[in-house]
Amino acid sequence: MERFGYVRAATISEALTFLNQPGYKNRPLAGSTDLVLLLRRNPDLCDRVVDISLIPEMHTIEKTGNDVIIGASASFSEIISNPIIRETGPILVEACKTVGATQIRNMGTIGGNVANAAACADSLPALVCLDAMARVLTPSEEFNWTVSELVISPNKTRIPAGGLLVSLRYTIPPSGTRGVFLKLGRRNAMAISRLTVAALGRLDENGRIADARFVTGSAAPQICRFKDVETSLLGQVPTPALMLAAGKLATEEMIRLSGYRWSSEYKVPALAAMTSRALSRVFQVREPSGEVV
Amino acid sequence: MIFDLIVNEEPIHTEAPADISLLHFLRDHLKLTGTKEGCNVGECGACSVLLDGKLVNSCLILAAQANGRRVVTIEGIHAEDGGPNDLQQAFIEYGAVQCGFCIPGMVLAGEALLNSNINPTRAEIREAIAGNLCRCTGYQQIVDAIQATALKRQEKGRRD
Repeated sequence: MERFGYVRAATISEALTFLNQPGYKNRPLAGSTDLVLLLRRNPDLCDRVVDISLIPEMHTIEKTGNDVIIGASASFSEIISNPIIRETGPILVEACKTVGATQIRNMGTIGGNVANAAACADSLPALVCLDAMARVLTPSEEFNWTVSELVISPNKTRIPAGGLLVSLRYTIPPSGTRGVFLKLGRRNAMAISRLTVAALGRLDENGRIADARFVTGSAAPQICRFKDVETSLLGQVPTPALMLAAGKLATEEMIRLSGYRWSSEYKVPALAAMTSRALSRVFQVREPSGEVV
Repeated sequence: MIFDLIVNEEPIHTEAPADISLLHFLRDHLKLTGTKEGCNVGECGACSVLLDGKLVNSCLILAAQANGRRVVTIEGIHAEDGGPNDLQQAFIEYGAVQCGFCIPGMVLAGEALLNSNINPTRAEIREAIAGNLCRCTGYQQIVDAIQATALKRQEKGRRD
């Protein structure tokens, strides 16, 4: 007997109709790379999957005014090769490049990465760094949350039952903004991230830091900007010492958010080094040599 | 459910459950056993096939997702006479095949790369097969075979 049925939606409104059709326990299916494995472990998860991966309007990537809108069913490969995102949000391109390997990037979607909300999701730190908004629809309502608000904790989001994440949107950072994404994994390809950092920033005409955004992934239960790190940088002239100090602040914020865990002994020096390295590249100062804070 | 799709340029019309992976549909229902089951969790790439021209892990995709679309498996990669094509011949010449289990996936990863990039660097070749595990060769011979095929296809392109 089939453990679950399959239905393919051609439009967003058809997907919402399917997802809210009484008598079924539905689940949206995008890239399938996570859900197929989940369904194998937990067949009671749903009795029907609603395929949203072939809805054309959910693959659109477009510039509207100063914003970029990415359809939630866009695959990592589509994002990596998209000229609009390469120009306006290269940090997201770098993050998507670190996902799995070609096969996973061809199937896996940005919306699936956000909605599945794994603690190690590679696109999340980049999206939060870009202050991306998520648009969620139900048959009667529309919600617009920041990605940071949408993701409550690992594998838990605000998306209501029968709701669908349809797109992500970010405002193009001002010119002169530089972004850096770093990932620490056990190998280069197919690696689940142990730590990621996303940093974005800009200097003013006097060479002082005018904008600093800093997010880490796989470090804390919530995905959020590290405000202490950002505040320590704003208005300052970037120096290697400032970047080292920011690295130490990042580790303190991680411990405050997630407590001291078995992995902290490894993660603290790694996060300190990754933070100062990423920020040094953003603000173009000499990278501090391998000092352990 | 009813399946209508194109596999290796041939139209397929058959009935199969909606909840099976594309890998099991290919192997158990169509008896195309060239596609291998290695890890069955998307780590090893032995099950790689082309779906609408894109390299995917057939173990991580439902057969239903491929309905109405085009699938190419290793059985669909061959020379006009049915023998090995130039890439497969290069795998033989360069000693890129030992136990052979990863090779169907490797060949499809190589074809997917060469379809989009006729002049790949060694780094690009390594990146293209990063999702395909080989426990025998150490990869060098596989990279050599793909690189040699790229050069031959470029030469052929210039001649034609």
